Amino acid sequence: MAALEMKSVGAALLSPERVQSTAVWIGTILLAIWASAAVPGFASSANISAIMYSTSAVGIAAVGMAFITLSGNLFMLSMGATAAVSTIVFASFLHLGLLPSIVVVVLVGALFGLAQGIAVGVFKTNPIITTIAMASIITGAGSFYSGGLTIVGQGDASWLGIGRTAGIPNQIVLFLLAALVFSFIVERTRFGRELRLIGLNPKAAHFTGLRVGRTLVIAYVLAAAAAAFAGALYGSQAAQGNLKLGAGLDFDAIAAVLVGGVAIKGGQGRILDAAIGAVFLAIITNILLLKGLSLEIQLIVKGLVVIASVILGALALGGRK
Amino acid sequence: MSTATLLRIALLIALVVAFALWNPAFISGRNIYALTQSFALLGLVALGLSLTMIAGEFDLSVGSMVAVGGLLTLVAGGSNLVHGMGVALAFAVVIGAANAFVVNRFNVSSLVVTVGSMMALSGFAFWLAGGKVISTDNFDLGFALDNPILTVLSWRGAITLAAFLLAGLFMRHTLMGRDIRVIGSKRLVAAASGAKVGLSLYIVFIVSALCAALAGSLLSMSLASAAATTGNNLMLQAVSAAIVGGVALSGGAGSPLHVLIGSLILTVMNNGLSLMGMGATGILFANGLVLMGIVLLDGQLGAWMSERFAASRARHSA
Repeated sequence: MAALEMKSVGAALLSPERVQSTAVWIGTILLAIWASAAVPGFASSANISAIMYSTSAVGIAAVGMAFITLSGNLFMLSMGATAAVSTIVFASFLHLGLLPSIVVVVLVGALFGLAQGIAVGVFKTNPIITTIAMASIITGAGSFYSGGLTIVGQGDASWLGIGRTAGIPNQIVLFLLAALVFSFIVERTRFGRELRLIGLNPKAAHFTGLRVGRTLVIAYVLAAAAAAFAGALYGSQAAQGNLKLGAGLDFDAIAAVLVGGVAIKGGQGRILDAAIGAVFLAIITNILLLKGLSLEIQLIVKGLVVIASVILGALALGGRK
Repeated sequence: MSTATLLRIALLIALVVAFALWNPAFISGRNIYALTQSFALLGLVALGLSLTMIAGEFDLSVGSMVAVGGLLTLVAGGSNLVHGMGVALAFAVVIGAANAFVVNRFNVSSLVVTVGSMMALSGFAFWLAGGKVISTDNFDLGFALDNPILTVLSWRGAITLAAFLLAGLFMRHTLMGRDIRVIGSKRLVAAASGAKVGLSLYIVFIVSALCAALAGSLLSMSLASAAATTGNNLMLQAVSAAIVGGVALSGGAGSPLHVLIGSLILTVMNNGLSLMGMGATGILFANGLVLMGIVLLDGQLGAWMSERFAASRARHSA
């Protein structure tokens, strides 16, 4: 039984599940090359840095979201609310200094994640509805805290907001770091292995003695902390916080995860797939922007891209009836 | 009627009595009219959404559909709002069918499919609105819809009640209604025993989109304006209404009557809270808490509590 399962896990890594993510990796590179040649202004250094900035926060949220998707619990629909409230927390603690402020933001986010992880992991609640409910609780709490106002940060957030290291924006460095660390956690730790096995078959995971509740709690804590950190990135760019900043993060992160090829049924896919999904979408969005298409059209395109990648993923898995 | 349903009716009455004692203005004719007006919006959306839930699916796109329905009515209708409503409803049929097609043909979770349609529809709504609030100077239809018919009920409220009656009859007295309930609890058994799974899915997703678009369309006529952000928190409230009323998230359980009771409970709660001076985000917060409470009861905690309850009853009767 166990041998069979190991075999199917091994086969899965080589089988159609990887087709989509490989295609997106290649597609991203080809798209970038094509756009550099065909879209005026795409390859300018100002535009490339704009793409990097628009990738960072979404990318960090997407690798966090990938934990939830890998665990078989679909999506965390409270990430936008978490990020939005985090911009407020970030701005209101900035007077203590940049690092302490980030620490507070991530801790508060982790607490939000803990509540959701306990609900889903221990009390077995419906993950989507739980995170929808938590989104309104978090938004409400944030609104009580800020009085519904924009909070202007008293302090210097420029290292995180616009700072560069060796010419590369610090935000993108942090995104790459987060992607690598999260990827290591999923690929190389016991927690990561349990997470993927739970996603593949939650019932079997329970009967074989995997620590299902504990693993899911950790996944939600990490995902919410990532969303909160993404909020800190938004907050640092504007040096202020309000409930509108980062509120659309859910959709962008979901789109990145699905486009990157993380299987919605759970268990299959890698953290780096979600990261490349975020890069791919940032490039597409940027091209649409350079072509003069409005934000609304970009949202429509993202929605259609999500549905298309869901259909493609289902076709690759032979999910036809 | 089951004990659980009677308990919910008792809760509804208790809420009404409590709010009325706290503030007599709560049971004034004007406030009850305001209450049925919000019910006219929420009830319709919850009714459609709950049918997908009874079938074991979920339509996350109802909120954006409300916005699109309202905007299409004004934008496509121009001076003829009835024409605009026709366009909105036809569009809803197409979107509902598209959702059902992807869910049925490719066997993917409807939560995932409708996340996509929610995003796309929301983008479409913002595009239709072009960053503004769209308004019309055709007030006649809105006045007619909001005209009180029994002092406390408008035509808009009456249309929502009629939709509940129709849906209730459909679910109770047709084979298709039975099929929808069966595929919600045991999909494979249902298919094997000849239930029309595909057709049921098309019906529930089309009805869900139709109800949302109709709710948005009627609202835009009543307000003589529409915005892209209108449906923002409606999905949260609609799912709360459905599960407060007793529709299970796991599918198979619940009926339009349950959704009616749930919608009334939620409408009364929100109206009462706003009479107590609570703002929009405060009410959103309260709805979140209620929803969180019910999903906890819906999961392991509820199972554990009913086990304990059954055990203690067995001890007492022994």
